[in-house]
Amino acid sequence: MGEEGTEGTIHLLCLAASSGVPLFCRSSRGGAPARQQLPFSVIGSLNGVHMFGQNLEVQLSSSRTEDTTVVWKSFHDSITLIVLSSEEGTSELRLERLLQMVFGAMVLLVGLEELTNIRNVERLKKELRASYRLIDSFLGDSELIGDLTQCVDCVVPPEGSLLQEALSGFAEAAGTAFISLVVSGRVVAATESWWRLGMPEAVLLPWLVGSLPPQAARDYPVYLPHGSPTVPHRLLTLTLLPDLELCLLCGPQPPLSQLDAQLLERWWQPLLEPLRGCLPLGTRALPAGFPLHTDILGLLLLHLELKRCLFTVEPSRDKEPSPEHRRRLLRSFYTLVTATHFPPAQLVKNPPTIRESWVRSLSWKDPLDKGKVTHTNILAW
Amino acid sequence: MFQVGRASIPKPAAHSLEDLDSVQRVLLHSDLEPEWLDSVQKNGELFYLELSEDEEESLLPETPTVNHVRFSENEIIIEEDDYREGKKYEPKLKRFTKILKSKKLLPKRYNKKNSNASGPVSILKHQSNQKMGVIVQQRHKDVNIYVNPKKLTVTKAKEQLKLLEVLVGIIHQTKWSWRRTGKQGGGERLVVHGLLPGGSAMKSGQVLIGDVLVAVNDVEVTSENIERVLSCIPGPMQVKLTFENAYAMKKETTQPRQKKAQLNTSDLVKLLWGEEVEGIQQNILNTPHIVMYLTLQLDSETSKEEQEILYHYPVSEASQKLQSVRGIFLTLCDMLENVTGTQVTSSSLLLNRKQIHIAYWKETDKLLLIGLPAEEVPLPQLRNMIEDVAQTLKFMYGSLDSAFCQVENVPRLDHFFSLFFQRALQPTKLHSSASPSTQQYDASSAVLLDNLPGVRWLTLPQEIKLELDTALSDLEAADFAELSEDYYDMRRLYTILGSSLFYKGYLICSHLPKDDLIDIAVYCRHYCLLPLAAKQRIGQLVIWREVFPRHHLQPSADSNTEVFQEPEGRYFLLIVGLRHYMLCVLLEAGGCASRAIGNPGPDCIYVDQVKTTLHQLEGVDSRINERLASSPTPCLSCADWFLAGSHEKLDNLTTSPILSRLHGASRVATSPTCRRTLFSDYSLKTRKPSPSRSGGPDSGLEGEGVGLSPHTTESQGSHGSEETGALLKVTKKKSALPNPFHLGNLKKDLSEKELDIYNTVKLTSGPENTLFHYVALETVQGIFITPTHEEVAQLSGSIHPQLIKNFHQCCLSIRAVFQQTVAKEKKKALNGKDHSGSTNSVSSLNPVKEHGVLFECSPENWTDQRKAPPVMAYWVVGRLFLHPKLQELYVCFHDSVTEIAIEMAFKLFFGLTL
Repeated sequence: MGEEGTEGTIHLLCLAASSGVPLFCRSSRGGAPARQQLPFSVIGSLNGVHMFGQNLEVQLSSSRTEDTTVVWKSFHDSITLIVLSSEEGTSELRLERLLQMVFGAMVLLVGLEELTNIRNVERLKKELRASYRLIDSFLGDSELIGDLTQCVDCVVPPEGSLLQEALSGFAEAAGTAFISLVVSGRVVAATESWWRLGMPEAVLLPWLVGSLPPQAARDYPVYLPHGSPTVPHRLLTLTLLPDLELCLLCGPQPPLSQLDAQLLERWWQPLLEPLRGCLPLGTRALPAGFPLHTDILGLLLLHLELKRCLFTVEPSRDKEPSPEHRRRLLRSFYTLVTATHFPPAQLVKNPPTIRESWVRSLSWKDPLDKGKVTHTNILAW
Repeated sequence: MFQVGRASIPKPAAHSLEDLDSVQRVLLHSDLEPEWLDSVQKNGELFYLELSEDEEESLLPETPTVNHVRFSENEIIIEEDDYREGKKYEPKLKRFTKILKSKKLLPKRYNKKNSNASGPVSILKHQSNQKMGVIVQQRHKDVNIYVNPKKLTVTKAKEQLKLLEVLVGIIHQTKWSWRRTGKQGGGERLVVHGLLPGGSAMKSGQVLIGDVLVAVNDVEVTSENIERVLSCIPGPMQVKLTFENAYAMKKETTQPRQKKAQLNTSDLVKLLWGEEVEGIQQNILNTPHIVMYLTLQLDSETSKEEQEILYHYPVSEASQKLQSVRGIFLTLCDMLENVTGTQVTSSSLLLNRKQIHIAYWKETDKLLLIGLPAEEVPLPQLRNMIEDVAQTLKFMYGSLDSAFCQVENVPRLDHFFSLFFQRALQPTKLHSSASPSTQQYDASSAVLLDNLPGVRWLTLPQEIKLELDTALSDLEAADFAELSEDYYDMRRLYTILGSSLFYKGYLICSHLPKDDLIDIAVYCRHYCLLPLAAKQRIGQLVIWREVFPRHHLQPSADSNTEVFQEPEGRYFLLIVGLRHYMLCVLLEAGGCASRAIGNPGPDCIYVDQVKTTLHQLEGVDSRINERLASSPTPCLSCADWFLAGSHEKLDNLTTSPILSRLHGASRVATSPTCRRTLFSDYSLKTRKPSPSRSGGPDSGLEGEGVGLSPHTTESQGSHGSEETGALLKVTKKKSALPNPFHLGNLKKDLSEKELDIYNTVKLTSGPENTLFHYVALETVQGIFITPTHEEVAQLSGSIHPQLIKNFHQCCLSIRAVFQQTVAKEKKKALNGKDHSGSTNSVSSLNPVKEHGVLFECSPENWTDQRKAPPVMAYWVVGRLFLHPKLQELYVCFHDSVTEIAIEMAFKLFFGLTL
């Protein structure tokens, strides 16, 4: 994967819309953060064309060269995000969703107030540094797909009901309704209220937890981009087992100190075994022994109403191609199909119902039948 | 008259022989002086189109009308001529009237009288186009009169049409006897039976008795609504009355149906002639669209307003906005290229909440931009379109620069792009035809098919094919009569490089290399010549222009030309159309032939020879029709048959399923082994993609064709000659692609209900033929095949059109994916295979080989409320094959088809040329 050459670079630019001052620039190359940056003049003209259009009531939304796609998006007339991607198989859909996530992440950590009324650009720049880590995780190769599908990455725990019970009991004891159990960025179980969280934050919060360096416990102020973009909440995380964290979203109460070891022990000690069982689910998403056809190399299951998805490339691990490769294939397949065949509803008048779509790609080997054939399937009802 | 055709060429003394020659030639032909001679433009170009209504077919008691349309530098003149009476205008008079008309000196009355006297009437509406300076004689005429309702004392109108009489001064009597044919829906026509003395109408002097008032201020009126319309006139004002003249009216009333169809097509013709068609154009102007040709090199000091715009079209409010943001495109083009190292291809922007795609085409330091709304034209399609445009312009003018940077080209480009946008934004209008289902099919398929690098191809049975080939070869050889060098003992003017023959818009025979063929086809498609030939009989079409085929102008492309001459051999395209035939001939001057000097116009001899060739083929025409009056061979199913309960209702449609099943039966009767031998024998590597039918299966198929004909006539009798296309198609499928998909289905049939196949009487049960539609593209030969209009028209149903529309949309998106693959492959081939092979597939799905989409469809107007509408699921699958040749196949079939059958179908198709 490292041998991608000069291609596969993503540049993300964030500018203050009114002044055109760059707030930050992030780049990644071949899935890893890179230091290489665009020259200032390029940033200036990228922003310039967008502003020029806006003055004439023409919103420039995207532009493509043979291998690069540029997408502009301005938020609340105060922040302009520009992404320039030369990744293979990239599409506007992916980049637009990326920008939405990035802006969501900025709101999550800085708050909408700061972003819409920029008083002190330098201070905002400093504050935004806190979100770099999260933003970089969107740019790079992630094991999750929530940024693209806008659905919460979930796993299917072996003993879900037990965990669910413990969760609701603990929620009562802790005094907050918003609790979830997260294993490496994927939700294992969550309370009803947690599931009812609005769109960007439902994906962003587990993602944030997954992107932070491991800590035994955290008390993290967050704004909810959908729910309360201006009033911060507290995100408390408690590590039950390595990679397995308990997340609580609450107001001023309770203080972190109140959630002491005793409380945790009382609720979670009895469930140690099921919790241990959850650990390998991080990448596999499905419990061991789940019957799955041996030819299935990857799986993406979306529940569009509940906004949850299940994404795994772990089945039959040992086979070609590598999990990273499969993940990318599945991601680009999703992008391709969603962009071409399941377009946003409001754009299409009277669309034919498309139920299924598949691509047979004959890749990387003998162009004739002897090579491996990836056959992927998305079913959406 | 004698010097016409070469009139504008400054002739050096050395050419005196040639002069003599042309005199002689004209003398020879003086009895049939070509009508198009006057239309040749200064630069030698000719676009001459004349429609004819066939005499035999014409139900009219009147003399058939022939309309001549001439393109000259800045005007179009349509003249009327009456062939039957053998009457000809005296040339001088003709010129004189032409001049008069062009200067707008001739009063409209003159035209009117003229047409009354000689009988025929132009079918064209009167329009005067400022920009082009078009003057056309009208079938409709507009008369502006002054009305003053205030003068009226309000009276209770006891008589009908009181206002018409009092206000306008037109007397119309509602007598039944005035009606010429039974009922006209919604009111009687307003025939002018008399004029009120002193009334405005009489004062105008332009309203004649017998005229029909059709519109007031562009509001259509009949006897029913005229009073209401007139009563809406608030005060004294000028009112525009539109009249249809008496003759045309008569024609229309005697055969309203035919008239209607013709009116539709004449829209197309009008567009071709560069006229504005009201309504259509107006609609289009409201959608933002633009084409711009910009220069990237600006000297910033002297930059004036809009200096960088070398050409733009259209001038409308909606496109004005796009024009004003051209800075964006210029900047992006420059900057993104610097940053990414690749050229910018497209942008999207939002204008009034409407998404608009802009495609870029950069050449040296100029930039061609085309912008169209995303709703109408998806991005991949737009990219193909701009490529097409660039290619066509280069074919026509040599380079984009020479096309755009010459002032005299501007009106031509305006015409070019008005056609272009017409096709892009309102494909239905151009593809109007008699039956709505075919029209819809045309419109939906145009989206896809216009983008394919190929020509719609049909094959013929061997003997007809042979005849066509011989005829074309004879023409190309050019070694007889006046074409031979011996005849005049001098070098011939042009060498015929090749020719291709179209029938009703389908390619039936081609002796041109692929590149030339595609260039010509794109040109024809652009000028809508193919649908034109399909829909109406062309009286005479002569097109002549210098062209710049890329195939020949590339260095070292053609060894012949290199040996004999300097690189600047020149090429000319001659298209002659006659009835449904259209023969395109590519001529070369220089090389073996003498060199072209100046801007030679069309040469009579060549035009005549080509025309003769077409005349020769007249007989073939009817034989084709006859031969092809059999069933569609890759038998298609109508989607509606798959809906529960629809079988009983669709009695009239059962012929087709019967056909397909019958067909299926006999197909299976020819054993699979036999078919295999056909494949191995058959080779598409011949120069012409002519499918040679080998003996074995042929007989079997033939028998089947005969057996089926009674059924076919039942359903198709009325379609008459239009059937030809379908049938041509049929044979192609028979020989070249023996129903790959169908075979698959049959396999299924065979396995599941073997008995049923032989027992064709028992039709109501058993598995169905589940193939709905297909498109196969063969890029090597530049051809593609699909079911014909007629085949599709047979399958009329409520869902089927919907399905076909979906199919084409899907194909389009699938093809977009394939195109990426192909582009990648090309890049790979350029870069060398060592490193790129591994990186390509790492993060993307490329190269995509197959893409399938499953649809659900239910009838749109489902009346039964108790039951839920039945839902039908079907697949659209496209497959791309890169090796050994680039091929694409798109199939649409019912969900119930097994995967093995489909696999089989693809294997068979791609196996053909292996």
